[in-house]
Amino acid sequence: MRLSELSLRHFRNLGVQDLQIPEEGLALVGENAHGKSNLLEAIYYLETLRSFRGARDDQLVAFGQDVFRIVGTMEDARGSDATLRVAAAFQRAGRRKKVTLSGDEPPRLGDALGHLGAVIFSPADIAVVNDGPSERRRFLDIVLSLNTDGYLEALQRYRHVLAQRNAALRENRGQSMVRIWDRHLVEFGARVVEGRRRWLRDRGPLFSRYYAEVSGGPAATLEYRPGFALEGATDGEEVETALCRALEASSSREFRTGTTVVGPHRDEVRFYLEGERELDVREFGSGGQRRTVALALRLAEAATIREVRGREPVILLDDVFAELDAGRSERILDLMEREETGQVILTAPKESDVRFRSDALPRWHIRCGQIEA
Amino acid sequence: MSVIEELAREFGRLPGVGPKTAQRLVYHLLKSSPDDGRRLAGAIREAMERIRPCGRCGNFAEAELCDVCASGRRDEDVVCVVEEAFEVAAVERTGSYRGLYHVLGGHLSPLDGIGPDELNVAQLLERVRAPESRIRELILATSAGVEGEATAVYLEGLFRPLGLRVTRLARGIPVGSDLEYVDGSTLAEALSGRREM
Ligand SMILES: [Zn+2]
Repeated sequence: MRLSELSLRHFRNLGVQDLQIPEEGLALVGENAHGKSNLLEAIYYLETLRSFRGARDDQLVAFGQDVFRIVGTMEDARGSDATLRVAAAFQRAGRRKKVTLSGDEPPRLGDALGHLGAVIFSPADIAVVNDGPSERRRFLDIVLSLNTDGYLEALQRYRHVLAQRNAALRENRGQSMVRIWDRHLVEFGARVVEGRRRWLRDRGPLFSRYYAEVSGGPAATLEYRPGFALEGATDGEEVETALCRALEASSSREFRTGTTVVGPHRDEVRFYLEGERELDVREFGSGGQRRTVALALRLAEAATIREVRGREPVILLDDVFAELDAGRSERILDLMEREETGQVILTAPKESDVRFRSDALPRWHIRCGQIEA
Repeated sequence: MSVIEELAREFGRLPGVGPKTAQRLVYHLLKSSPDDGRRLAGAIREAMERIRPCGRCGNFAEAELCDVCASGRRDEDVVCVVEEAFEVAAVERTGSYRGLYHVLGGHLSPLDGIGPDELNVAQLLERVRAPESRIRELILATSAGVEGEATAVYLEGLFRPLGLRVTRLARGIPVGSDLEYVDGSTLAEALSGRREM
């Protein structure tokens, strides 16, 4: 898919604007704090129905307004006539979110996710390496929710059962009141684990290759550290058995702490630098190496969209090369020029910062939220 | 507040009735004959005053016992356990169930502070343990979602050790759906295809 039209109403400082997006994409140039990232945030909102910067919906409504609305028209890049219009609106009063697909409200909000097929690269991505394990789980959850059937449902149900089970543990009314939640916890938990494990296994080699190409040196690898002993389980049923055992084994610790201590909510992903000794990037990696891990993860996400949906992802680049050294940014530009043939929408503070497809991308400018083509 | 506004507000508190529908209902009543309105008011008053939970099973009742419990022609070996009283009517509509009922009054939900003590579990235990009890099977017809399933697992753990046969409605009822919305023949099939837990 590519985005052909974007209509904005009171999303952050972007006011009322109707934009025709060029087929190849565009480079949006503007000083900081004028709203460059807000445009990417609005576009990516149509993909995940939330802010990629972690802002709450009510924070996205322009000051003094009650409702924001974003409508994107998407066309199949392969020239078919089929277009899809995704409209997302949020009303501050009553905290109501409404999403329609070409005019129809989908039965579940989850059905409205992932229609654009976009990946966003942002300086904030570094958090996936630097921050705690929940950031890494969040990365996996978003990629898998958008690209794997049934993952989002399993994840939501897992979280729901987990909350019930933890409440039962806190009530401390004995084993039987806790165990009654285990069947579903194990069923949905195993589906979450299977999704994450498969993605990390299938995309791991690609991640390593991307890392090596961007760093210009040795590769990095990623490793799945599930939040319980998998005991060599190789399919969903064996994962269920392993989770069951782990729950039984942790029973006394659960009652002591009043919370479920094993399961995918405790999953972790580790990144290692290859070499004579494997070094954990989080412990020993330089700033450049950490940024490269984050970039390689996004590139692997783009590859997932390409494979799962059979079309080029829309690439959103939020001033990402600013913080990379010259060598790394040259190499990632090379890599992306080779891999990406789809639509690219990027932001940069100055004309001279637009290096990606610099000849091909039309320059747009933004000032105080007003975009000029 | 005017009388009209007050009536509209009361209608508006009913499920599925928005402010516009509430207004329409009020205007409709005001246009129709005063007798119609009085009959409606009377029916509401009668229902609120006379309907109470059945002293044995918790079903809607106009007397100490509900129609099912008072009938004397029901199969007293088997009890169908439902979450809410209105679900009794759904099972009755199938016409294929001749046993008794027990209404729990909800399902287990620690997040909402609902444990066995907040449900009519003790009353069910009492029924089963009563010297005159002929109950030999419990059919657990709790909802098909996570909470309903957990409630069923809990009840099974409680009643199977007492020597009861404990069964669950057969699959085929969509996950998360209330009995109320399941059509009669599907429910009848689920009843006849019930399985040991
Ligand atoms: Zn009764």
